[in-house]
Amino acid sequence: MEPNGRIEKPIITLDHVSKRFESAGRVKEVVNDVSLEVNENEFVVLFGPGQCGKTTMINLIAGLELASEGTVTVDEKQVDGPGADRGVVYQTTALFPFCSVMGNVEFGPKSRGIDKKARRERAQYFIDLVGLQGFEKSYPNQLSGGMRQRVGIARAYCNDPKVMLMDEPFGHLDAQTRYMMEEELEKIWQKEKRTVVFVTNNIEEAIYLADRIILLTNCPTTIKQEYVVELPRPRSYVDPEFLKLRRIILENTDETL
Amino acid sequence: MKKKFVGEKAEKTIYAILAIATFFLAWAFITTFTAAKETTPGPIEVLKLLVTSFFQPIGRYTVYGHLYYSIRRVLIGYTVATVLGIIVGLSMGTSRYAEAIIKPIFEMIRPIPPIAWIPLVILWFGVGELPKYAIIFIGSFTNVTLNAYTGAQRVDPTLVGCARMLGTSERDIFLRVILPSSMPQIFAGMQVALSTAWMAVLAAEMIGAQEGCGWIILRGSDTTNIPLVLVGMVIIGVVGLFLATIMRMAERKVCAWNRMDV
Amino acid sequence: MSEENIKVRVTNLTKKFGDLLVLDDISFDVKQGEFLCIVGPTGCGKTTFLNSLTKLYDLTAGEILINGEPVDLKKHNIAYILQEYSAFPWLTVEENIKYGLKIKKFSAEEIQKRADEVIEMVGLKDYLSYYPDQLSASMLQRVVIARAFAVQPELLLMDEPYGQLDVSLRFKLEDELIRLWKKTGTTVIFITHNIEEAVYLSERILVLTNKPTKIKKEINNPLPRPRDVTAEDFVAIRNHVTDLIKWW
Repeated sequence: MEPNGRIEKPIITLDHVSKRFESAGRVKEVVNDVSLEVNENEFVVLFGPGQCGKTTMINLIAGLELASEGTVTVDEKQVDGPGADRGVVYQTTALFPFCSVMGNVEFGPKSRGIDKKARRERAQYFIDLVGLQGFEKSYPNQLSGGMRQRVGIARAYCNDPKVMLMDEPFGHLDAQTRYMMEEELEKIWQKEKRTVVFVTNNIEEAIYLADRIILLTNCPTTIKQEYVVELPRPRSYVDPEFLKLRRIILENTDETL
Repeated sequence: MKKKFVGEKAEKTIYAILAIATFFLAWAFITTFTAAKETTPGPIEVLKLLVTSFFQPIGRYTVYGHLYYSIRRVLIGYTVATVLGIIVGLSMGTSRYAEAIIKPIFEMIRPIPPIAWIPLVILWFGVGELPKYAIIFIGSFTNVTLNAYTGAQRVDPTLVGCARMLGTSERDIFLRVILPSSMPQIFAGMQVALSTAWMAVLAAEMIGAQEGCGWIILRGSDTTNIPLVLVGMVIIGVVGLFLATIMRMAERKVCAWNRMDV
Repeated sequence: MSEENIKVRVTNLTKKFGDLLVLDDISFDVKQGEFLCIVGPTGCGKTTFLNSLTKLYDLTAGEILINGEPVDLKKHNIAYILQEYSAFPWLTVEENIKYGLKIKKFSAEEIQKRADEVIEMVGLKDYLSYYPDQLSASMLQRVVIARAFAVQPELLLMDEPYGQLDVSLRFKLEDELIRLWKKTGTTVIFITHNIEEAVYLSERILVLTNKPTKIKKEINNPLPRPRDVTAEDFVAIRNHVTDLIKWW
């Protein structure tokens, strides 16, 4: 809430956004007329079947792709390219293999010319927060899948972005490591509140994390329905309400092609 | 199972020593018991000449002097080739324009052997040290460039996008993402280039040289002193092996992140 | 459990790498036609377990019997479905499905008959001339399953085949697997990290410990099929297994 009592403004706005890709003379529409608003510190999950345009939606907000039609606005600025106000956590972790854990986490602040002492301190805080103290000097290929994703999260946070974009960050982890990372992420998010747009095709993960789930259709992606998740946090995967919501959403989800 | 894990390194060393010993034994055998003994000196003879050449000069210098000149030529030609090769290769790999402009010329010049450049190089640079550096440069430049080029092409585009999202400038992306990403590939090129640089020593020292390991071979060849030719060959081989080993150690240090077993 | 009903008997299975004990004295039986799930915590030596079962590793101690005889890959008809889709990219769907049958040197008519059967069962009729690259993940999984069932294996070993698929697709393929299993009466050993999946599929669950791997507990799973993941008794078994494994 602003001091004058106005309703808070959305920090991310997609206004009638469409995205088409052209290849070999053929046009493929991936996102079709999507409008969406995300409020400050809200945890929004984009949930949809297999190959729908979820990643494209993240890339549009990130500015790694530009909309064919419509506008994407983040923090009152129209998105026209990549920028440090948006932090991305990738599915493949995308850690710099030639940088240590510390090197990865401080990569953003170093890029922006923040002096060594300040950025080290900040990086250390987030390394500790994701539970990787003692691994500062390790290289990514020495870490397990779960640990790499922790580095990815710390790196995104350390750059102090306005919004966090997470593209199926736990998609490659086994079911148990995944539960652990979901719990961890929830704790981190509670401590370091941030607007999060999180993409997944795992319904348990969606309900566990989301304030609001945006159900997407198959390609070309449109918004099929929204679900506000009001279960108290931290949630239980086997809570009857949780399981009920899970069934409702799954029944409404398009079949994976 | 256990023996395999622990003894692997020792085992490899033993095989290496055995292989070299076998080579020398075969050499000794052939030059003692077959018709080749008429023409080819055996290992003992060559070794004797090698040892004496540390005290008695061949031409103007002892082996130390020749080594000094050859190594200096190789290092200068090779270093310039490496630095330029990395810059040209990475630009080719990252900029479509650079690739379109440089690549065709490059592919055309590539198959020409260094030795073919001698007349032109003499015309341009005379007969001093400069043309020798130039020949060695020509001998090593292509390998570094091509490998740097492949390395830059293979950089994961997600990493570049990721660096952009973190607010990294284009110059920093080149220095902090593309260059380190390509490093293993560049090192592979530098390894190969180091041996081709040594190969080019012979061509380089054809240009009015009075010293150097290549010159020893040329001198032996001119005076039909076959043991001397072999001494030159052995020196080049041993020094090449030595430099390659140093290179591998450097690679281990620089590309430590690329090894699974650290 | 009467002796003649036992398909697989594992006794005192032990594996050491050097001095490192990885599998510690594991014994269990699998009944003819049973669907057995094996779950354990992340990093519990699952792969070593599987490789020992299939004799890719020499055992340090213990033995594995199939039908009362020591396991022999040439003699016993064992099929695998592993984590990575392993359809040959240079063969069409039909050729992939017939591949195992050809290796086993069946007659041409027998190959055609069996291939037609499984193709019908998994609904791949319209895709016979496609190459794996042209198929979606779900279709690819069906090819792999059809190929495994075509050889009418006496034992089917599955190593987390659905780990990377999205949930609704996983449910669908799991239902298909159950249908095939019931129809063919094949004995199945299914290894997974996903507890819900284990409870959904199995008749019996073996819960493993962390390294060195032992059997922590054996749980019978008599829930009627089709199973409902939201049902109270389902959740009860799921919670029980979770409590035994939980490290996170």
